[in-house]
Amino acid sequence: MKTLVGAARWALLTPMVVLSIAPIVYMGVTALKPAGTPLAVGNPWWPDHPTLGNFADLFGDPQFGHWVANTALVAGGTVLIGLLASILAGYALAYLDVPYGRSIVLVFFATYLLPQAVLFIPLLRVLSRLHLLNSPAALVLTYPSMVIPFGTWVVWSFLRRLPRDLIDSARTDGAGVYSTIVDILLPVLWPALATVGLFAITVVFNDYLYTSTFIQESSGQTIMGALGGLITADIDNPGKSFAAAMLAAAPLALLCAFFADAFARGLSTGIIEQ
Amino acid sequence: MLAPAAVLCLGTIVYAIVLEGWFSVSDAGPGTDGVFIGLANFQFLAGLSNFWQMVANTGIYSGTSTVVKLALGLVMALALARPFPGRRVVYAALFLPFIFPVVLGTIAWFFLLSNINGGIDWILLRLHLIAQAFEWRGRLPMVSVVTVNVWHGTALFGVLLLAALRSISTDLLDSATVDGASRVQQFFHIIVPYLKPAALLGVVLSVLGNFGDFAIVELLTRGGPLGRSQIVSTYAFENALVSGDVGLGAAIALVMVPVYVVALVVAYRLLGRE
Repeated sequence: MKTLVGAARWALLTPMVVLSIAPIVYMGVTALKPAGTPLAVGNPWWPDHPTLGNFADLFGDPQFGHWVANTALVAGGTVLIGLLASILAGYALAYLDVPYGRSIVLVFFATYLLPQAVLFIPLLRVLSRLHLLNSPAALVLTYPSMVIPFGTWVVWSFLRRLPRDLIDSARTDGAGVYSTIVDILLPVLWPALATVGLFAITVVFNDYLYTSTFIQESSGQTIMGALGGLITADIDNPGKSFAAAMLAAAPLALLCAFFADAFARGLSTGIIEQ
Repeated sequence: MLAPAAVLCLGTIVYAIVLEGWFSVSDAGPGTDGVFIGLANFQFLAGLSNFWQMVANTGIYSGTSTVVKLALGLVMALALARPFPGRRVVYAALFLPFIFPVVLGTIAWFFLLSNINGGIDWILLRLHLIAQAFEWRGRLPMVSVVTVNVWHGTALFGVLLLAALRSISTDLLDSATVDGASRVQQFFHIIVPYLKPAALLGVVLSVLGNFGDFAIVELLTRGGPLGRSQIVSTYAFENALVSGDVGLGAAIALVMVPVYVVALVVAYRLLGRE
């Protein structure tokens, strides 16, 4: 019986694993082919003359440098603003008796579910009036609106489950809001914050709508927007873009390797185990 | 303390929705706010066969991929529920497509599904399953976009369902076994009810995510050929930004709102019950 279950498990899992990683393997293989190898020839699943030349080219490429810098700036800004606003809002909703607190939490949840495609047309107009188009600021201002609802929700539900004494005793000792948060809550809150931070990064790395609409100049573009824009031009020399894509995905894959369990737990504590 | 979150998130969203509402009843164009034209945009859309094809496509895209992801996610969760050698590696491999930036994953799929020495054609030709190169994106555009969506999103269902599975105590399953419940009975009477909230939540997230989805369709098919894979976000994008009819684009984007409201009611019911 046991071997039967084991065999059935692998019979199901093997094709799923193969299909899951195949596109990523394909991308990696293409990135390792020598520069100038067109997609139209050769084995798409194997590099005959593997080389790291495409990766080396990228490091000297000022355009790629711009995209990396823009992405880092946008990701950093979004994480920072998203975390700060979420901690403050989560704290207020959990501990200060905010009037209609429960309704506010529900409204936040509602905005979490709002598809971003509903908003991009008016947001484009607003950003254009503020003369922020083509600058990373356009994204730093709009991405947090996708992070804060989830972030507030996670921080709020995490704080609600902490023993109330922890805060009350700090307050009776005369600690202010700031020192309560920094000295007492941050040390225990970090799993929730890691979840929110990682979520913010996935928002930045998974968006294509905002970045391709709000940023039209290549030098102001994030990696995702830039690579998405190159897609059809790539057929004759895809190696470099694919190398860039592998490098762009690396931070997220690494974070995932370290935090996958924490992220999954946070995702489900934030949402399911209400 | 709520102010940063409220301004950045609710402020942005409320302002954007009001502006969107105005655009939808105006003849706004690029850089102009237009004049009031009543419901002309909506009337125009209602008489357009393209529009109704897009509505059907969006429903098929969202519905089909959600159902397939739910089924595969259930398989993933059940196969990973108990410890076995290699579980961590398999889990990471199955989680990878979800964490892999969707723009980059779609770029890989764009070339995998190509008829010019595409990765999939190459394998099928070697196995003699097809006689000549097949143009997946052009011939089966909806199948192509759904495939990429499923590839990217299955792990979210897997993770949510796995978390729910793990919350079932082994005592409960043991006592059921002592009572003589067969595995099939256990599955339908104990496991399924436990998984229902997580599954419903996944469905709500997926349906809304797919409705607002942009990257996969825009990069893979651009809604083509001839609108055969056009969905609401790419259609709004094309009308508002490519053709410059901002009013019409806004009216199209607002079509998502009724679906959003229904999904929201389902989500609140779900959370209210617990």
